[in-house]
Amino acid sequence: MSVQTYEVIFRIRRYSPEKGSYWQEYKLTVDRFTQFTEALRRIKTEQDPSLAYRASCHMAVCGSCGMKINGEPRLACKTLVSGIINKYGSNVITIEPMDYFPVIKDLIVDWEDFYTRMFKVKPRLYPAKEVLEGKGEHRLKPEDQRRLWKFAQCIWCGLCVSVCPVIREDPEFLGPAAHAKGYRFLTDPRDTITDERFKILSDSAWRCTYCYHCFSVCPRDIEPVTAIKKTRALTKYVKEPTNVTFNGVKHSEAIAGSIKTTGKIMESLVYLQTYGLSRSLKDLIFIAKAGRGGSLISSILEEKPVKNVSEIKKLFEG
Amino acid sequence: MKIAYYPGCATHGFAKDIDVATKKVAETLGIELVEIPDWNCCGGGFLDEYDEVTHVALNLRNLSQVEKMRMDKFATPCSVCLHSHRLAVNKYKEDRDIRERVNKKIEGTSIKYEGKATAEHIVWVLLRDVGLEKIKAHVKRPLTGLKVATYYGCQILRPEQIMGFEPAYNPHSLSDLVSATGATPVTFNEMINCCGFPLMGSNPNMGLKLAYNILNGAKKNGADLLVHTCSLCHLQFDPLHYRIKEEFKVEWTLPGIYILQLLALAFGYQPDEIGLSKLAIQVLMEKGII
Repeated sequence: MSVQTYEVIFRIRRYSPEKGSYWQEYKLTVDRFTQFTEALRRIKTEQDPSLAYRASCHMAVCGSCGMKINGEPRLACKTLVSGIINKYGSNVITIEPMDYFPVIKDLIVDWEDFYTRMFKVKPRLYPAKEVLEGKGEHRLKPEDQRRLWKFAQCIWCGLCVSVCPVIREDPEFLGPAAHAKGYRFLTDPRDTITDERFKILSDSAWRCTYCYHCFSVCPRDIEPVTAIKKTRALTKYVKEPTNVTFNGVKHSEAIAGSIKTTGKIMESLVYLQTYGLSRSLKDLIFIAKAGRGGSLISSILEEKPVKNVSEIKKLFEG
Repeated sequence: MKIAYYPGCATHGFAKDIDVATKKVAETLGIELVEIPDWNCCGGGFLDEYDEVTHVALNLRNLSQVEKMRMDKFATPCSVCLHSHRLAVNKYKEDRDIRERVNKKIEGTSIKYEGKATAEHIVWVLLRDVGLEKIKAHVKRPLTGLKVATYYGCQILRPEQIMGFEPAYNPHSLSDLVSATGATPVTFNEMINCCGFPLMGSNPNMGLKLAYNILNGAKKNGADLLVHTCSLCHLQFDPLHYRIKEEFKVEWTLPGIYILQLLALAFGYQPDEIGLSKLAIQVLMEKGII
């Protein structure tokens, strides 16, 4: 029985401080079970020992082999070469280092920034004193474990951070991986530093832009954005909300209030409630200048509440 | 072809021009859009952080209405509405805890969701159900010489495992549609990044910065105007264009219009029939298109 093989051209984005950045092509024949880490290992051992990349466990546990494959942030070990060929219908495949992180050599990037962010959220359990002294024990209910399980699966691969658009702009944002890890301890009933965790996580949670890059690329299906949403949902327990948190809550409550009472987002009302009269009037000038006064008027006059609004209210209250 | 239509709040509000252009394009291509009776808001991308279970229930209410219309999907022009409904269905089907809580909540209401109806973007319907050839056949005013940046943003693409229409990191639907009008598609690095709208409540300065990054990336790549797929991106790029200009001391302009406004223009509609902004009209006149 013959095994199906593929002749593949790998275009690899290489870099060294001496040569700078350049593309290099390698030809390799692979079978349909070949992972990218295996393809890279064969290129390195059979063709070019100078090619640098990180890989260790080859089973999506160690988080070392994050890279961009045909532009997609992926774990090389969890991605089959044949899968990418079938998805894109081409035997020419590009491999690049992850975005955002500084490149050290070829596909190897500098993790410093990533670890700094992770350590900021104190990524470990702070148990009660009596437990530390061996005088008691913590118990975790199965339902709590089920709730936390997803967010405890992070392997620190950095793929979510490499694509996050806010992390590049906002130094106050902790980033998706740190939020997933932070939420996992924030709501762990065994943890004892909840107030401090709220202080660390709450403001940053309201700095996320819900772009869903992190959800899309996570090789462990952790959904960091969901952890951020769940952290926001706990804002009522935050003792000293920052401006960003305060404004975010105001906006979120204005939206929920509008839907609850009319079944829809009455934009003008939500705008006014979120920004206040002064900012709304300023924006009105920009809106009029763009020739959008008509849209504004129609949004105020034409949109009608849901007829069966009592059903909407029941859904909120039930 | 008859299809259920979910406009969403913004499409009936500040972004009314999207509603108008969508209906014109549908009419030209022989699609009958039937608005879902008594539809409600999807949550605008925020309600799930406030109340996860009610969010799912509200989205199922719309899909349940679609099933009552004996249809298996609705089309929406808004990426956020699309995303909200698809995520809600995914949660309802995949998460047992959520499903049980939602079922309890919708007991005794009009909501009867059998799991058949789904949400699709109008762009998907155009490409999958209508086809590029038919779209090209209706072009009366080829937009030759116009360079159009193809901005996808977030929610029509990601998470890829739930949206699923095209590769989230190598999308081409907008390039295909722009090419069909005779215009030249302009791709750019930022085309799959966020417009900043979801930050306009909590951190508006950063929200505007993200919008500026998109426009700046498109402009640097030589675009004359930008097309997008979302009623909320529309609010960032269109009514707030002058605020972005002022905030970032920008000399140039780059009008952002909805992809179906571009199609309607190519189908021969006049700018005022499809609610094009002053800025977009100015660019089209300069390029000799109108």
